[in-house]
Amino acid sequence: MSKFFLDYNLKVRLPIIVFTAAIVFAITYYVSYAERNGIGYTPEQPIKYSHNLHAGDMKIDCQYCHTGVEKSRNAGIPSADICMNCHTAARTDKPEIIKLKEFYDYNKPITWKRVHKIPDFAYFSHAVHVGKGIDCENCHGDMAKTEVVGQVHSFTMGACLECHRSPEKNIKDFSKLQEKFSIKKGPEYCSACHR
Amino acid sequence: MKKNRETKYWRGLSEYNKSDKFKHAVNLEFENEVETEEEGKSLISRRQFLSFLTASAALTAAGCSNYKDKGDIVPYNKKPEEITVGVPNYYASTCTGCAENCGTLIKTREGRPIKIDGNPDNPVNKGKICSRGQAGIINLYDPDRIKEPLAGDRAGNYAPVTWKSADDKIIQALNSASSTGKEIAIISNTLTSLTFKKILADFKVKYPSANLYTYELAGEKNFINAFKKSYGINNPQGTEFVIPSVKLGEAKVILALESDFLNTGKNRQENIKLFTENREVITKEKFNKLYSVEGNVSLTGLNSDYRIKLKTDAIEEFVLSLLNEFIVKKSSLPAVTKFAGQQGIEQLLSGFELSQFVKKYSLNSETINELVKDLESNQGSVFVSAGFMLSESTHIAVNLLNEVLGASKLFDFANGFFVLQENSTDEEIQKLSGNLKSGNVSVAVVIDSNPVYHFAKEYGFAESLKKLQTSVLLTEFLNETAHVCNYVLPVSNNLESWGDYKVRAGLLSLQQPVIYPLYNTRQRETIFLNWTKNDITDKQDYFLNYLKENWEKNFYPALNSGTSFRDFWTKSLQDGIVVTQDKVNKSLQFVNESFIQNSGKVKSSKDFAVVLCRSYSLGDGKFANNGWLQELPHPVSKMVWDNYAAISVDSAKELGVDSNDLIEIAINGNKISIPVFVQSGMADKTIAIELGYGRTKAGKVGSDKGFNAVELISKTPAISPWLYNNASISKASGTYELISTQEHYPIDQEQYKDIAIKRGIVREATLDEYRKNPGGVIKEKKIDGLNIVQFPSVNEDHQYTGVKWAMAIDLNKCIGCADCTSACNVENNIPVVGKDQVKANREMHWIRIDRYYSGNSSEPRATFMPMLCQHCDLAPCENVCPVAATTHSEDGINGMAYNRCVGTRYCSNNCPYKVRRYNYFNFRNHLADGHYEQDSVSLVHNPEVTVRSRGVMEKCTFCLQRVMGARQNSIATNTPLKGSDVKTACQEACPSNAISFGDMNDEKDALQQFRKHKLSYTVLEEIKVRPNVTYIAKIRNNNGNKNKA
Repeated sequence: MSKFFLDYNLKVRLPIIVFTAAIVFAITYYVSYAERNGIGYTPEQPIKYSHNLHAGDMKIDCQYCHTGVEKSRNAGIPSADICMNCHTAARTDKPEIIKLKEFYDYNKPITWKRVHKIPDFAYFSHAVHVGKGIDCENCHGDMAKTEVVGQVHSFTMGACLECHRSPEKNIKDFSKLQEKFSIKKGPEYCSACHR
Repeated sequence: MKKNRETKYWRGLSEYNKSDKFKHAVNLEFENEVETEEEGKSLISRRQFLSFLTASAALTAAGCSNYKDKGDIVPYNKKPEEITVGVPNYYASTCTGCAENCGTLIKTREGRPIKIDGNPDNPVNKGKICSRGQAGIINLYDPDRIKEPLAGDRAGNYAPVTWKSADDKIIQALNSASSTGKEIAIISNTLTSLTFKKILADFKVKYPSANLYTYELAGEKNFINAFKKSYGINNPQGTEFVIPSVKLGEAKVILALESDFLNTGKNRQENIKLFTENREVITKEKFNKLYSVEGNVSLTGLNSDYRIKLKTDAIEEFVLSLLNEFIVKKSSLPAVTKFAGQQGIEQLLSGFELSQFVKKYSLNSETINELVKDLESNQGSVFVSAGFMLSESTHIAVNLLNEVLGASKLFDFANGFFVLQENSTDEEIQKLSGNLKSGNVSVAVVIDSNPVYHFAKEYGFAESLKKLQTSVLLTEFLNETAHVCNYVLPVSNNLESWGDYKVRAGLLSLQQPVIYPLYNTRQRETIFLNWTKNDITDKQDYFLNYLKENWEKNFYPALNSGTSFRDFWTKSLQDGIVVTQDKVNKSLQFVNESFIQNSGKVKSSKDFAVVLCRSYSLGDGKFANNGWLQELPHPVSKMVWDNYAAISVDSAKELGVDSNDLIEIAINGNKISIPVFVQSGMADKTIAIELGYGRTKAGKVGSDKGFNAVELISKTPAISPWLYNNASISKASGTYELISTQEHYPIDQEQYKDIAIKRGIVREATLDEYRKNPGGVIKEKKIDGLNIVQFPSVNEDHQYTGVKWAMAIDLNKCIGCADCTSACNVENNIPVVGKDQVKANREMHWIRIDRYYSGNSSEPRATFMPMLCQHCDLAPCENVCPVAATTHSEDGINGMAYNRCVGTRYCSNNCPYKVRRYNYFNFRNHLADGHYEQDSVSLVHNPEVTVRSRGVMEKCTFCLQRVMGARQNSIATNTPLKGSDVKTACQEACPSNAISFGDMNDEKDALQQFRKHKLSYTVLEEIKVRPNVTYIAKIRNNNGNKNKA
């Protein structure tokens, strides 16, 4: 192996390769960041339910269906009987409603695909956040304008902390909330979420 | 340095004697060689391994579905109205773990029970329940439960059958038995359910040859028989009567004679509460005085102010000597006039001179004099309690003593013990045993009990049940009796059953299921009801309908509740209790004849006395398959997973044995071999063994743990079934290793002994010392004239502005029962590690009870101290964590982020209190072939607490999940968070309310009266970690060491 060959490899080729690889990695990392955090995940659901129609056009309150949101850690996916409150009478001829009625009548569980997930070792509470007046929209996007539910915000610890540290930048109308609920910042200590 | 304290504390005999082994041990961090999983040579080569790895990686990749997939959410189809996902529901019910039938409050999440506490509305147990009741929840989910009816071949093989076929065959057998006039024997533990009694009565109408036999392995038979004789209660067999309970709270002086009324005795929950209410320094100063005379070392004995050790078979003599002192010597007690001059009584007592007795057993005469003086001067507020194992004659003598001392003034008739159906007499059981042998019985039905294990071999239950044409066992778990039965029918768990129980006058306790039966089980009432009526439907409410009907017809009209039955029933279920107005006796007259005819027969012998005691954790063996209870350290010896023969230091020397050596005990031809544990404080020539251990067919966890002392119980005992004084003891060959948690985590290390005494980890004083100088009990600690607590700190103080959590523990109230440990286990998903792992110091309890002995090894005094994470403001564990997995919260809690922990164990090493616990394995998988990792067991886990796996550190979190729950509620309801909003699991369970929890930044919080009290101190405060658990120094109502031998 000649001396020249080694020099060339070390001085030129290797740095170029390393640099290219780093650039490619960095670009891929940042470009795929949102994707990796699940943003844009819009799975197909067993029933084509439209938030746009129910929460948007008909202005049904979120809590009519998500009953746990003020009382519990879990907002709760509505049970079929909540749907049937209206749909025993309303729109019973539509194919999706027929599907729903079938689930309900035969007591078959509806297996919704999960869209938003926080790891099991983090104990997020809907009641605390909603209780402090933080609107659903801040994490879930404007559901009233969403046809099929998908994830719009990141649900990583970084994303939680981002908002806990500088809520004024991340929460809609934060100054109003400050007046009404006297909130300052979210806690940053570990045991606020991990136990 | 000057010594501040005279008392030296020691944890075990090896420390006391400063044995070489102990000196070696205190220098080691871990007592034993740390064992790792077996490292055998791998069966596959490196090349093979790599090819497997590649192949499996390829397979995994191929099998991958959408990486974005986050699984499914399956909501209820028709959501039960009362359930909100994530919010617990509570139901009042009744515990059937023993015949005490405490009221329970069961916490369920999404329809599955996860925690059992006492029902606060129950006037007897008032929101508290024992460690068995707490830990019993795992029995519901135990994978060993029988899941369907079985037909057994009586050789250990079982084949599943349907309920219908089993019922048909059994009904056929019952019919043929009653038509041929052969007996149908129904064998059960104590019967306390009103409706079940009615069902059994109906059953007897249908099958007239049926007879009910009830028994208890270590029951109150002697006490009840003695009471009936003493007070002339002559009720016909099978009818109800009431024995008054005792207003222990009004007793100023209590004398316990081999009586563990604070733990294994009858009416434990109420006793602890009433007793400790009178050990009060915080709100007011109030102290009762407890004398304990015993041969065994019981928890009550260790909590007494004066403990007088006396061979158990001499207790009757002692009682008679006391009676002699009062009656014959014509004491000034007003009640004496009733008995003095009665010829029979005086004649019987004449041979028993107290001074002679004191000399004979070389007791301390000053202590005895003080006892006599206290008994006399407090007449009318004195109570003498006798242990269940003492003979009937001793109990009668104690009843007379209570009469003489005016203790009958403390009798509480309205709140008395209700005996629904008295247990069978010895003669009846003998008759049953004979009938079974002779073939006069053709069908035997055993209801949720285990006579093959509970009766000595002499009775021959195993052989005769095996021979019987039809023997049926109704049970939750396969057991020794199942082995000899041809039908084993699964009964529903406590938490899956309906019921009504009556154990106290004026009070009924209702039981309601909190979960649909997990398996194809029926409750015992359903089974008998169907055998009587043969009309079962598939519906679960078969028995419920009967129960409601029975109530509507027989109880509801008399109660005049003023509401419809429906409303009454719903409200009663919600409350868990129904208060009734029972007609009870208002007074009882002592029958002198009972004393004259019965007492004075027990003479102490020179041989060894053997006392058979109730188990602290396993009950009558029913809880043997419960890992949490097997691993709960024995309150006295801290032993786990085993029982043993406790023996005094001198007697051990005499026999030439040491702890772990096997001895053979022979009584009337019955023999067992059992390891010795040298227990300081035992009376010489006395051996105490706990019953309930040594089950051979208890299940995966509980089989072959400990030694079966039931085999020593004689069919015709001379004194009492649980007390013998003619035992011959010999050293047997071999040893058996007993494992205790006692000498773990030594914080009083010998090489620092002087400093440790100065540090005053436990502090105590006598009542007189405290009264004279309340502030002098907690001495300032000084080094070179400087108060060490006020040494300057190098750390900058963190300011806590909001709520700051802190705990206070009153050592005057703590009796060391370990109910808190049990509650913590359930609340915080603590794994069971197994005996082998406890040996390697790896038990996982977040709260332990440290028991320090002081005094000398033959007459020790004990101090109990619950030790848990102290949540130090300047926590030393936090500084050394390389990954910041353990950090402080804004409300003063030292938290653990498990997913961050990498398992260096630096924190544990740096913890001065040694309260951190490390998951060396996935212990659930490690124990009994992953018994506690099976699917059903995961249902017991508290969903608010992470289930930790291998490689992470854990410790007490001050029940962070409850703190966070309270915080959530305060935000949701927009009310400020208060210290009283949170109750930790240990606090909730503590039967004596020794534990308080609250906000130390709130001046109005009840916690402040503890923190500011003159007796308050923190442990190891001189190392300036600023612990947040305050202890209240222990005050003893005695005169210190003056009277000690």
